[in-house]
Amino acid sequence: MDHIHIVGTSHHTAPLDFREKLAFSETQILQAFPLLRDQYQFHETVILSTCNRVEIYAAAHTTEGSTPLSDFLSAYHHIDSQTLKKFTYTHQDADAVRHLFDVSTSLDSMVVGEPQILGQVKEAYDTALAAGASGHVLNRLFTKAINVGKRVRTETNIASGAVSIGYAAVELAKKIFQSLDNKTVAIVGAGEMSELTTQHLVENGASQVIVANRTFERAVEIAKKFDGIPHAYDESLSFLVDADIVISSTDAPHYLIQRKPLSEVMKKRKHRHMFLIDIAVPRDIDPEVSNLENAFLYNIDDLDAVIASNLKDRKREAEIAARIVEEETLGYYSQLQLLKVTPTIKALNQQFQGVVERELQTCLKKAELSPEQQALVQSMTQAIVKKLLHQPTKNLRQRTNDIDGEHVQYIQALQELFALKNEENRSDSEDET
Amino acid sequence: MEFLFLLTLLIYLAASILHALFLATGIRKIAEGAFWATTTGFALHTILISLRWIGRGQFPMSHWLDSVSFLAWAIILIYLGIAYLTRMRALGVFVVPAAFAAILIAYALPQDEPGLPAYLQNYWLLSHTTLIFLSYAAFIAAFGFGVMYLIEEKKIRRKAQTLIHDHFPSLGSSDEIGHRCMVVGVILLTMGIIIGVIWTTYAQELEWRWLDSKIIFTLATWLIYVIQIGIRQALGWRGRKAAYSAIIGFAAILCTYAGVNLFLPSIHAF
Repeated sequence: MDHIHIVGTSHHTAPLDFREKLAFSETQILQAFPLLRDQYQFHETVILSTCNRVEIYAAAHTTEGSTPLSDFLSAYHHIDSQTLKKFTYTHQDADAVRHLFDVSTSLDSMVVGEPQILGQVKEAYDTALAAGASGHVLNRLFTKAINVGKRVRTETNIASGAVSIGYAAVELAKKIFQSLDNKTVAIVGAGEMSELTTQHLVENGASQVIVANRTFERAVEIAKKFDGIPHAYDESLSFLVDADIVISSTDAPHYLIQRKPLSEVMKKRKHRHMFLIDIAVPRDIDPEVSNLENAFLYNIDDLDAVIASNLKDRKREAEIAARIVEEETLGYYSQLQLLKVTPTIKALNQQFQGVVERELQTCLKKAELSPEQQALVQSMTQAIVKKLLHQPTKNLRQRTNDIDGEHVQYIQALQELFALKNEENRSDSEDET
Repeated sequence: MEFLFLLTLLIYLAASILHALFLATGIRKIAEGAFWATTTGFALHTILISLRWIGRGQFPMSHWLDSVSFLAWAIILIYLGIAYLTRMRALGVFVVPAAFAAILIAYALPQDEPGLPAYLQNYWLLSHTTLIFLSYAAFIAAFGFGVMYLIEEKKIRRKAQTLIHDHFPSLGSSDEIGHRCMVVGVILLTMGIIIGVIWTTYAQELEWRWLDSKIIFTLATWLIYVIQIGIRQALGWRGRKAAYSAIIGFAAILCTYAGVNLFLPSIHAF
């Protein structure tokens, strides 16, 4: 029987500078595969290396546990085993399966519901598959993990709701404008956050960007990034007449956007809706502005509240997702059980014996035989069954030990040809009760 | 006939429930189900009106049930048009149950059947009534969007936590579509009024009475919408002001349609 092992490190167990040391580049992954196979006896490996986690998934016949995997990591990255032990975790078999499902469903991610991890798992698996490092054990495991990831995404709302300032801004803007197409975004001041938010708005359809800054040169500089129009800031706020969405993040100590000039601006733009986002601390936009008709003001705390509420929802969805993972992990193992050799052979035997027994009874009723003769016929039929099944049984058992994975196909073929599956399920459920 | 009537009511009821379910869950498939249920109800409703028309040999417009049923039919027609053009289903949450309730109430009202005098049975009456009823329906749709606008605006201003999860149209959509409904309504109403004027001018059987209560109320209603549309173009009366206008206009229509007929004498039966 193959064992599945994981050794890994993630944002849960290690700081960034340690994760960096353990990271594998694409080339290093391809180097590691033959090493793990030839020197550490792991006949199958998949390596997942992202900025938040480094994990090696491996299958081995041995029962030595995951120690050799850790040995490999410390040898490959030149890290003493003591430190390695402190920052890494290991999982085996059912725990390993559950862990991978947690990863692929993003339950183990820094931000639950984040969309990248599923793609990263798939990529890691594809790399291993292409390099021939993954075989039937990990193929089955990873295919399943990717499916579970997809299932959680479609059956729960784990990935819904914005959890960053930029996306929250986009979501709110869509509540006001329906679509961001042909909308104009104005950035007042500069800063990473406001540029990131603008980036999200542009990606979601906003077509024009206006950049206002106290120094015109700086405005030109930022405007270049978005192919936008630079403006020098002036107190009349005239540059805001065409702006549908305003993002303000300056380090000014007082309100830059006051109610009175903005009300003039609103009049000039015929009161078309305006969405103002104040991400500056101290604030740039006078809170009084929100009393203007058709002007809607959100500050950084309001956006954080939206995010917090979304995170709370995701947490609730994560509980549903965790139940799915649990169910899939159990399902994975009961299916593995089904594919075992011994129960299959047993079921085959039972089926043959059953047929013979029924036929024998019908025959014995018709033919008037003495008890001795009856016993003779009975033992003969049993011998026939045994002899008929002897060679296939022997071959099957041999293959189990021989070439790994091939026996699974034989078992599947047997189960299908002789319709053994139902028999197995029944005995399985009996076992459980 | 009775059976068809009840079936239509039942389907409108189902469509109402589906619309409410959609607003609660946001599941697109439910919205599509609601849309198709409404369409089916509308088709049956159309057959119902046609059968009644054929059966009576005249345009069925002589008592409350016919009148309200025709108004409900017009509302559903306008809603289906908007839903088809904009893929927006939220309006159905308001108008489908309203149409359902209106028919149900009208059904419960006493049904005397005076029949229309012969001089009223012509295409003038048909086009005059149809245009005006369609304009009412458009104004009622504008009212629905106005209400949705105000609800959503309040949520945005209060930064309500439920904001992100609701399935109301955005402020921009409610405002814009509501405005278009008003414009369409004004055009239809104007045409309906003009036809009425021409009709009374040329038909000798009809007496031209400026001071008829229905005419005065209709002109007042017309004025409310025309002023709103005009100021919107000139000064940008959009958003909340437009929503309030839609609601005031709706109140005026209620007076014109039901109030006048119930409480004031008029040459107009409906």
